[in-house]
Amino acid sequence: MIATLAQAGFPEAMSGLTLYHYLFISAVMFVLGLIGFVTRRNLIVMFLCTEMMFQASGIALVAFSRFYLEYTGQVFVIFVLTVAAAEAAMALALVVLLFRRNESLDGSVWSLLKG
Amino acid sequence: MAEKLAYLWPEVTLFLATCAVMVIGLSPSAAVRRLCPLISGLSLAAAGIFAIGTTPTLADGAEGLMPGMLPYAKAIIAAVGILIVMLLAGTVDRGEEEELAAGVRKFDPLRLTSGEFYAFFLFSLTGLMLTASADSLIWLFLALELTSLPTYVMVTISTARSRAKEAGVKYFFLGALGAAIFLYGFALIYGGTGSVHLGEIHHQITLQMAGDGLNGITLAGLLISILGIGFKIAAVPMHYYTADVYQGAATPVTAMLAFVPKTAGFLALILLCSAIGWHYGETGHALPDTIRLLLWVMAVLTMTLGNVLAILQTSMKRMLAYSSIAHSGYMLVGIIAGPGATFTESGISAVLFYLLTYGVMSTGAFAVIASLERTHAERTQTGELAYDEADSIEAIRGLARAKPLLGWSMVICALSMLGFPLTVGFFGKLPLFTSGIAAGELPLVIVLGINSAIAAFYYLRLVSYPLFDEAGDEAGGFITTPMRTRPAVAAIGAVGVLAMTVFAGPLMGLAHDAVQPKLHDSDAPIADEAMPTEEAEPVAAK
Repeated sequence: MIATLAQAGFPEAMSGLTLYHYLFISAVMFVLGLIGFVTRRNLIVMFLCTEMMFQASGIALVAFSRFYLEYTGQVFVIFVLTVAAAEAAMALALVVLLFRRNESLDGSVWSLLKG
Repeated sequence: MAEKLAYLWPEVTLFLATCAVMVIGLSPSAAVRRLCPLISGLSLAAAGIFAIGTTPTLADGAEGLMPGMLPYAKAIIAAVGILIVMLLAGTVDRGEEEELAAGVRKFDPLRLTSGEFYAFFLFSLTGLMLTASADSLIWLFLALELTSLPTYVMVTISTARSRAKEAGVKYFFLGALGAAIFLYGFALIYGGTGSVHLGEIHHQITLQMAGDGLNGITLAGLLISILGIGFKIAAVPMHYYTADVYQGAATPVTAMLAFVPKTAGFLALILLCSAIGWHYGETGHALPDTIRLLLWVMAVLTMTLGNVLAILQTSMKRMLAYSSIAHSGYMLVGIIAGPGATFTESGISAVLFYLLTYGVMSTGAFAVIASLERTHAERTQTGELAYDEADSIEAIRGLARAKPLLGWSMVICALSMLGFPLTVGFFGKLPLFTSGIAAGELPLVIVLGINSAIAAFYYLRLVSYPLFDEAGDEAGGFITTPMRTRPAVAAIGAVGVLAMTVFAGPLMGLAHDAVQPKLHDSDAPIADEAMPTEEAEPVAAK
């Protein structure tokens, strides 16, 4: 384990955790988000799934940033959070708009457009 | 940072106009509110002029990966943007303005959305121009998001009808998914190369490929980000939203969707791929096999699926949506071919030229559809007035006889989209073929040829219905919209197609100069002279 730590470039203080643990978690979050987006029909849950995918990238970025011992990745995460907040605002506005018209948050209720 | 400002003046101009439009869109005076599209158009013209004046010869390290692309890309964005803003003029708040003018309703700033509408349009174009200037992954991500986020709102508020809301929600959710996917790809690229700067990434990837190949994280990152950007260009497998969103949005907004996100996606793809493989210039080497294979499969599926599904449509907007998917497939051929020494061998200049061509002809075709509407507005369930737009292909039966201007514009634009010989669509598609052959992608070029033939089935319907058919019952119900700018855009689109056919040579030359490694000072005057012919035309028509 010590050898892996040294390879991954983490200081000893983070004993037991390597870059790959973080990448694994981030990959799991990303895939879970993707699966959730495809399988769930509730609009709010679908949006939360995309948020989870955004945060998966955030974890990967911060882990890489620590790995390279520089701040670029962390700066990237701050921008990502800002964009995610803007998207959340828009998502909630759209969901409220939909709920007022259909009284339902089920995405499959909407089927005017087909062909 | 300060030296970057030198080539960001077009974006600064658009941003200032955005702020102005947002404020005056709330004015109690209808005359002032009507200035919004005018200001947007003028600011786009100014941005275009600034872009042509940009000389992208910057100090080393401050330049993007493809500095020569900036003036060309921004100028075509401004030129097509002016066409689109003319088409958008008067789209939102139409019923509201009529009721205000008639005195039925009192002025209420909360009910008016025109300020936001034009402001979001300008925001989106600002993002599009920033995409062209991107030199790092952070910049690229923010620019792509700035391009997309406003379009979600524009689709939703474009008409009072429920289908626009449904289209907006579909577009937003799948757009957020696309953004999450390419963001994850960007994170992995950063992890694999240790930098977010495209120049540095290019350097690292070159080192890795000279050694024992791309490392797994970089490769995964590149594949995932290309897939995610596939959403912006509506490429298979990220194309699901296209037909629904194009049909649900008001037609002028659909015209915008056909140009703006697609251009953003292709500019991003060009930047990413140039970071991967091409030392644009003589020493260029091809993309790594895995990435080439992904793009290859995407290109083949995208054009085939787009064309085959387009044949089955009876709605013109859905048909043009699938045709827009197919056109993305064609342009992917150019991306795979990569740069070359001459224009006929360079897939990148072919893509840049095709983006301009496609922008003009598809805006022209959508302008014809947007110009046809039913006589009376209907009230939606929320009490707003909405005009029923033409959508079914029956609406253009006998159009060339009933309304010659619109009919012939449709005929010319459809022929050009088909790539009929001696139209600009043909000259746009030709370099895609030749560059593919030069790059040794013969099977891909054959698929491209077969698809161009399949496309004839549905484009010829758009040509023969207005020309040879008698007007049916359905066609009788539509009149030319009272908004004068829309038929004008249809006419400009058709005239633009003809004019670009005549000036195809110089325009192709500009596209080719745009992908040269370094712009020498001696090249700059050429760009200054030739660009106005194409730039001045929409402005003069105003």
